[in-house]
Amino acid sequence: MNLLLGAAAIGFILSLLALGVYVSFRIFEFSDITAEGSITTGAAIAAVLLTHGWAPLTATFAGALGGMCAGTVTGLLATRCGINRLLSGILTMTALYSINLRIMGKSNIPLTNDHTMVSQAEAWGKAAFGKSTLAIWGWEVAVRDASLLIMVPALILVVCLALYFFLHTNLGTAMRATGDNAQMIRALGVDDGVMVVFGLALSNGLIALGGALLAQYQGFADVQMGIGMVVWGLASVIIGEALVGTRKLGYAITGTVMGSVLFRLLVAVALRWGLNPNDLKLITAAFVLAALIVPNALKSLKQKPRSLTHA
Amino acid sequence: MLEIRNVWKTFHPGTPNEVRALQGVDLTLEDGSFTIIIGTNGSGKSTTLNAVAGSFFVDEGQLRIGGTDVTRWPEHRRASLIGRVFQNPFSGTAPSLSIAENFSLAARRGLSRGLGPALGSRMKAEMRDAVRQLNMGLEARLDNAIGTLSGGQRQALTLLMAAWRKPQLLLLDEHTAALDPKSADQVIALSETLIARDRLTTLMVTHSMQQAASLGDRLIMMHRGKVIHDLRGAEKARVRPADLLERFEELRRSELLDESAAEMLERLYV
Ligand SMILES: Nc1ncnc2c1ncn2[C@@H]1O[C@H](COP(=O)(O)OP(=O)(O)OP(=O)(O)O)[C@@H](O)[C@H]1O
Ligand SMILES: [Mg+2]
Repeated sequence: MNLLLGAAAIGFILSLLALGVYVSFRIFEFSDITAEGSITTGAAIAAVLLTHGWAPLTATFAGALGGMCAGTVTGLLATRCGINRLLSGILTMTALYSINLRIMGKSNIPLTNDHTMVSQAEAWGKAAFGKSTLAIWGWEVAVRDASLLIMVPALILVVCLALYFFLHTNLGTAMRATGDNAQMIRALGVDDGVMVVFGLALSNGLIALGGALLAQYQGFADVQMGIGMVVWGLASVIIGEALVGTRKLGYAITGTVMGSVLFRLLVAVALRWGLNPNDLKLITAAFVLAALIVPNALKSLKQKPRSLTHA
Repeated sequence: MLEIRNVWKTFHPGTPNEVRALQGVDLTLEDGSFTIIIGTNGSGKSTTLNAVAGSFFVDEGQLRIGGTDVTRWPEHRRASLIGRVFQNPFSGTAPSLSIAENFSLAARRGLSRGLGPALGSRMKAEMRDAVRQLNMGLEARLDNAIGTLSGGQRQALTLLMAAWRKPQLLLLDEHTAALDPKSADQVIALSETLIARDRLTTLMVTHSMQQAASLGDRLIMMHRGKVIHDLRGAEKARVRPADLLERFEELRRSELLDESAAEMLERLYV
């Protein structure tokens, strides 16, 4: 039970990653892998500031700001310098590895004794419940998990609402149209390059926010923590699309969060059943690959019923 | 209103794919004029419109709209003066956004876009009225994704959107070529209504001699990156589709003549 609660909490935290991936990959159709660096940047900045005694909220948002800068750089490389989109992301990601090490000063920063948003949530939980374990439907639940499972989804809800309303402003609508039809939005007077830069800043800001929270949840920031994150985010987005469809923006955002949580729960169960953690990335990659090719394969099967009967 | 001064454009210069698409185009449109461009495939009609809209910068020459030199303005900046409908119905709208959202984008053409809500209730009421006049039943579907509509419906909406903020210049590039005859007629009728209502200065490319003869107050024929005929006033009003086909035929004969003359010279001297 505690295992699942923990997985759900991580799922909610990493839904920020999934939302960021949704913004870049789906709204802008920009295969941006800056995320692998910017999630660590968010964690690194937050961790360093926290060990220097900054307020948890300020440190966390400083982390998000770092991610926005990274996204801006990738966007400028792609739109102003005309560098291939994938390569722009790779360049920023590679540079970020060194920058993250510079920020942290070492490859791992433990946060166990610092005042973080997580320890804050735990303190509030203890004050509210008055003890350190709870009995829910006969299960022993740590107050830490219970209070996090209230605080984190609440925070995610706020972020999702803000994202939803932002994407319905004049600026946000123009950003969505840019990914849909850049020629049209230029003809309506919008500099599509600027929109892409804003979009990647938004995307990587969300992702770095997720990184900052993840570091506080797991109690450390590590320079390697970003590896494979884009594929994890994509997997969540794809699960979300399968769950609720993509028709409306509100559904897509909700689905992405649900996808992230479900994905984490599935991973937790698979690990519990004896899956080797080292195989996790391979399996996730295979899953995303399948999700990318199966719909097309099904379509071509439907289009050529003849070849089926002859086969 | 629009002045095109000696504009030249070569694509892929210095390569085997070099195309001299515009070779000294000169054209001045008066305020409120509705000009039709015809010409053979590859004669530079679309390239002229793209040059005006700013899809690329011209190699030489000048472009002025309403007296302002826009030759070095990027496309999105010129869009504050220009409304545009493309040949491809997919080009003019954002398919996954709703009809209303597409409209809200057009409603801020040339204006800044901030954090205000894109869809106010007043704007929605205004656009519902405008869309109702299309008689396509779309006013009930304002929240549907535009990608679910037919090409004709999308093109009609694109036209409404382009004319929404009364552009100084309206560019129509074969905007009915991809439509079935009935939709094409509807879109043409709508074009006429909007252009007449707001006295929009319009530049329209078409391959339909019917449209070329019946629409507009001026007719231009392009050939090999140049304007070769320019009919206006009474002359334009008199013109019939058959006359225009005649001109194309003439052009074809002189081309053949050119070729046979070249062949003859080649035989004589090479
Ligand atoms: N972006 C481009 N890059 C390279 N060549 C181009 C480009 N745009 C146009 N051309 C070439 O320029 C020439 C003129 O093309 P343009 O599209 O203006 O012709 P058009 O008069 O519109 O013809 P059509 O009636 O077929 O639409 C053609 O040879 C075309 O291949
Ligand atoms: Mg053309």
